[in-house]
Amino acid sequence: MLLGGPPRSPRSGTSPKGPRSSTGHVQFGKSPQTWPRRTRLRSPEPAAPSGVRGSTWPKRRDSPRRAGPTALSRYVGHLWMGRRPPSPEARGPVPRSSAASRARRSLASPGTSPGPLTATIGGAVAGGGPRQGRAEAHKEVFPGQRVGKMAAPMELFCWSGGWGLPSVDLDCLAVLTYARFTGAPLKVHKISNPWQSPSGTLPALRTSHGEVISVPHKIITHLRKEKYNADYDLSARQGADTLAFMSLLEEKLLPVLVHTFWIDTKNYVEVTRKWYAEAMPFPLNFFLPGRMQRQYMERLQLLTGEHRPEDEEELEKELYREARECLTLLSQRLGSQKFFFGDAPASLDAFVFSYLALLLQAKLPSGKLQVHLRGLHNLCAYCTHILSLYFPWDGAEVPPQRHTPAGPETEGEPYRRRNQILSVLAGLAAMVGYALLSGIVSIQRATPARAPGTRTLGMAEEDEEE
Amino acid sequence: MSLVAEAFVSQIAAAEPWPENATLYQQLKGEQILLSDNAASLAVQAFLQMCNLPIKVVCRANAEYMSPSGHSLSDGLEEVQKAEMKAYMELVNNMLLTAELYLQWCDEATVGEITHARYGSPYPWPLNHILAYQKQWEVKRKMKAIGWGKKTLDQVLEDVDQCCQALSQRLGTQPYFFNKQPTELDALVFGHLYTILTTQLTNDELSEKVKNYSNLLAFCRRIEQHYFEDRGKGRLS
Repeated sequence: MLLGGPPRSPRSGTSPKGPRSSTGHVQFGKSPQTWPRRTRLRSPEPAAPSGVRGSTWPKRRDSPRRAGPTALSRYVGHLWMGRRPPSPEARGPVPRSSAASRARRSLASPGTSPGPLTATIGGAVAGGGPRQGRAEAHKEVFPGQRVGKMAAPMELFCWSGGWGLPSVDLDCLAVLTYARFTGAPLKVHKISNPWQSPSGTLPALRTSHGEVISVPHKIITHLRKEKYNADYDLSARQGADTLAFMSLLEEKLLPVLVHTFWIDTKNYVEVTRKWYAEAMPFPLNFFLPGRMQRQYMERLQLLTGEHRPEDEEELEKELYREARECLTLLSQRLGSQKFFFGDAPASLDAFVFSYLALLLQAKLPSGKLQVHLRGLHNLCAYCTHILSLYFPWDGAEVPPQRHTPAGPETEGEPYRRRNQILSVLAGLAAMVGYALLSGIVSIQRATPARAPGTRTLGMAEEDEEE
Repeated sequence: MSLVAEAFVSQIAAAEPWPENATLYQQLKGEQILLSDNAASLAVQAFLQMCNLPIKVVCRANAEYMSPSGHSLSDGLEEVQKAEMKAYMELVNNMLLTAELYLQWCDEATVGEITHARYGSPYPWPLNHILAYQKQWEVKRKMKAIGWGKKTLDQVLEDVDQCCQALSQRLGTQPYFFNKQPTELDALVFGHLYTILTTQLTNDELSEKVKNYSNLLAFCRRIEQHYFEDRGKGRLS
């Protein structure tokens, strides 16, 4: 089944992509999707009962604490005192291998690719108290750190992966990418049942204090507060630019994305609904995709309502025109740089990547915007670059390692299958029970010579007698 | 918002020469016009002044649903700068305009004292109440859709502060956002900031937030002097 099991995420673009859902979609998470990356980590760690255990990455360099306002501006408000992750080159193949990071050294994890593996051992400490680990190693205690206190690691619940991406949902992808950029130690649960997430929607972050945050901007703000800040090195002007470009994305690109994946009939039926219906457990797959679609439609109408177009065609054309313009603008702004602000990724990159990656990777039957985007080569290269650097397992073929830790991986499938069988059996039992109780069918302990054919006669006779 | 947005969008489509008797319709100044519409209208006026296009301002009660067309000020910019300009314009629309709308329609104190009365003033009873409530309901729905439904006033003010900080940092010490020449962005920012600074509301926190940034204040003053007072086209009120 598509998106059934964990193996999906690492699949390359051959697999169909799921629709991107923006904030507020219901999430199912019956069978947590294991992330191939996680499976590697599984060996040193105890098997997770559900979901994928995120790698606990060493903490990044700390950045000053900063209280911030809400939503977009609030989240960006941290920008000016933010911190940027070290450039990807320093990291090597694993984004987390922020070799320059003191934290990593403190955890005695190797700088090379199996870093996550061994780091998780130290990560068990790090996950619990990154600051603690760092403080221990470097004997540095920063004000406000909880030295000596083991807090629970942060858990992120998000939609599972598809179409060569770690997650099919826009917000989940953005949050995941940001977490990758900053090396935040997150336990990632990839689920396809939104009802399993603590807040009922995906993405959702459960902080170390047990608090649940489900607005993507707030999640990122929280990560920033925990000193995982990708914007630390940005100048004030770049911070202002971030705010501006994110507004641009939200105003121009988001409505069209929603339209492309959820409103456009062909796309919706063949790609979006298909993915969600196959990913969600029975019986949610019957009504939840439709419900999500209605929510998106409503949202889109509210967002674009003030334009009051004469007809829907006009509105569509206008929306797409603006989106194409927005993409061109992004392309112009990016130029030939690796990331929007130089050589290291910032939060803006996480968001832009999530939009572009979904547009690029999904196999949309009617993808006008996709065609336009493919024409902007620097944006395509940008996406591929980030994908290969930060989500190498998701883009590549399924690595053989995935099969070895069979427990948690295949756990998802039989679990789901079992549920389906159980529900069918329950239905059958109910029907048979009803039939027996109401006398439609009776078990006659009469003459064994009674042929099966006469049984029906017997029933008819009973009915007649009654 | 649609006024300004359409003005700046239709610049692409405006092929015919500017008509002599072009009029800008806005709501009744003293009584009906609201903060956000005033800002939008002012932005358009500023823009047109910068383009040297004569404009006559006419006050109409239903101006909310009408829109003008315009020219382009940003032809001299490079591509990257144009991208930035559009992005900042979206930022202003996203933050400042939404904050203004929020303040007008979702803050109970302001709604009760100012907005309802002003919005419905040209209409007879009970139409004034009905229209006002309808508009309020509409705005609240929109706020909810973009995620501002649960925000408190303080959070909104913080957002405005962030936006002003971003604008202030982008402006720096330059006279205009893209150095020597004013662009649509300047007109838009001026429209909003000036309106915020000069409109009397139940609380002055919004204008206080803007006043924290001296270069923005200087910017507003500069544009006001240069384009509105010097030309002798009349005061901005």
